[in-house]
Amino acid sequence: MGMATTTTTMATATTITTTTDRMELQEGDFFRLLAWTSPAYPVGGFSYSHGIEMAVEEGRLPNAPALTAYITTVLMRGAGHVDGVMLCAAHDAAGDDAALDEVAEEAFAWRGTAEHALEATQQGGSFASVTATTWPDARFAAFAARHRGRLTHAVAFGAAAGFAGLARRPALLAYLHGFAANLVSAGVRLVPLGQTDGQRVTAALGPVIAAAADSAQATGREALATSAPLLDILSMRHETQYTRLFRS
Amino acid sequence: MRESDARHQRAEGEARLEVGPGGITRLYQKAPLRLLFPTPEPGEPLQAALVNTAGGLAGGDAVRAELVLSHGAQALVTTPAAEKLYASLGPVASLRTRMEVGEGAALEYLPQEAILFDGARLDRRTEAHVAPGGALLATESLVLGRIARGEAWRRGTAREAWRLHLDGRLAWADAIALDEAARDAPHALDGAEALGLMLLAHPEAARHRELARDLTGGQASLPRPGLLLLRFLGRAVEVRAGIMAAIPALRSAALGRPATLPRLWTC
Repeated sequence: MGMATTTTTMATATTITTTTDRMELQEGDFFRLLAWTSPAYPVGGFSYSHGIEMAVEEGRLPNAPALTAYITTVLMRGAGHVDGVMLCAAHDAAGDDAALDEVAEEAFAWRGTAEHALEATQQGGSFASVTATTWPDARFAAFAARHRGRLTHAVAFGAAAGFAGLARRPALLAYLHGFAANLVSAGVRLVPLGQTDGQRVTAALGPVIAAAADSAQATGREALATSAPLLDILSMRHETQYTRLFRS
Repeated sequence: MRESDARHQRAEGEARLEVGPGGITRLYQKAPLRLLFPTPEPGEPLQAALVNTAGGLAGGDAVRAELVLSHGAQALVTTPAAEKLYASLGPVASLRTRMEVGEGAALEYLPQEAILFDGARLDRRTEAHVAPGGALLATESLVLGRIARGEAWRRGTAREAWRLHLDGRLAWADAIALDEAARDAPHALDGAEALGLMLLAHPEAARHRELARDLTGGQASLPRPGLLLLRFLGRAVEVRAGIMAAIPALRSAALGRPATLPRLWTC
């Protein structure tokens, strides 16, 4: 089946969509990506808000547009950008153990708060475990075993996609969409927003996800940088937030 | 001729300091970087002041400092003033710092802030390797404009990257890249005039987490065992005051050194 990519130009993203980026997916691959990013896939994403809980507590997210802006910053300037770059690197390195191990170590090192590290590695470990069981692949299982407790979700996802022969662009878009949708879900519960308003946020984030994917694909690991220190600070403050429903 | 084609003489400073348990074992310096050694106060280790004799850095300038503490060595490295980054005609000003802290050694790397003049372009990279049982207390801060005279940093780019290796393994990687778009993005810089970082790499860093939280209003975390990070973001005077409060508290609690600021920070 074919899915057209959305071409979006943002100040910080280089648009690199070309005809070769048009995604042609086998049905089996498409189903696999739907499963991996479904809220039913048991990685525990529902327990992470990536700082939204603290931002709401501080009155920063009063409505749907503010939530959209927050998630946009996460995707373009925060962990979403790091994850996108690392997912691509892991996908590219699948099949070269030394290169893939280096990507895994580096991606783990990029988590600068305890809760961001927990969020990435707990989901990464769970993803690796259920994926290795459901779609057995000896190479992926060996990789996951080498990085137990230190495997980020994005690297586990990218490596699994690479080993399975899934094209990179659709895997990247699916991961970023799943990441964003999970934050929308947290925002719906915390802001709070109605379910329909939540879906409006998800719809508004479509072009942002495409731009975040473009930006990730255009950025090498050497040039990787974030540009939203407030996100790390909200995560730090969340550690001592008085009432917490979420683990990040 | 376009302005960016203009050729200027560019500074390439270098300083290398090696310290053993008995004191300095090797010293190399190349202008405009100089290392000076003020007499330490009682209870203080070897003190080194990293001085840029050019008074500031322009686009195209490059300075490189290397600080190596062997097994059991003790030292504190600071700067006598803020580092000024002048408006660039195009190229970035490059600052590279590399630190090695041997087993049982303790290094404090406490430079004062870097001030970005409007139009400045900075690329600052810091790399540290801390051996088992070694300790590093480090800070870094950036002021976005000559705030005191009402000049904001509107044009330019700044990139600050860190790589910290503990026991031979990459433990923390970070880079922040700022420009005008980042400055104005929601939930990114939060309107801040300045940002700062403190890190404590120490086998018992976890014991100081509550202190770090108290010092920063909760802006501290222990992302790995043995690594404590504190972040500062806000008005320039607040960021500086926050770091000036955190240095004495952490050096005293974690390194057993006097609960004072390096004297160069206040004179």
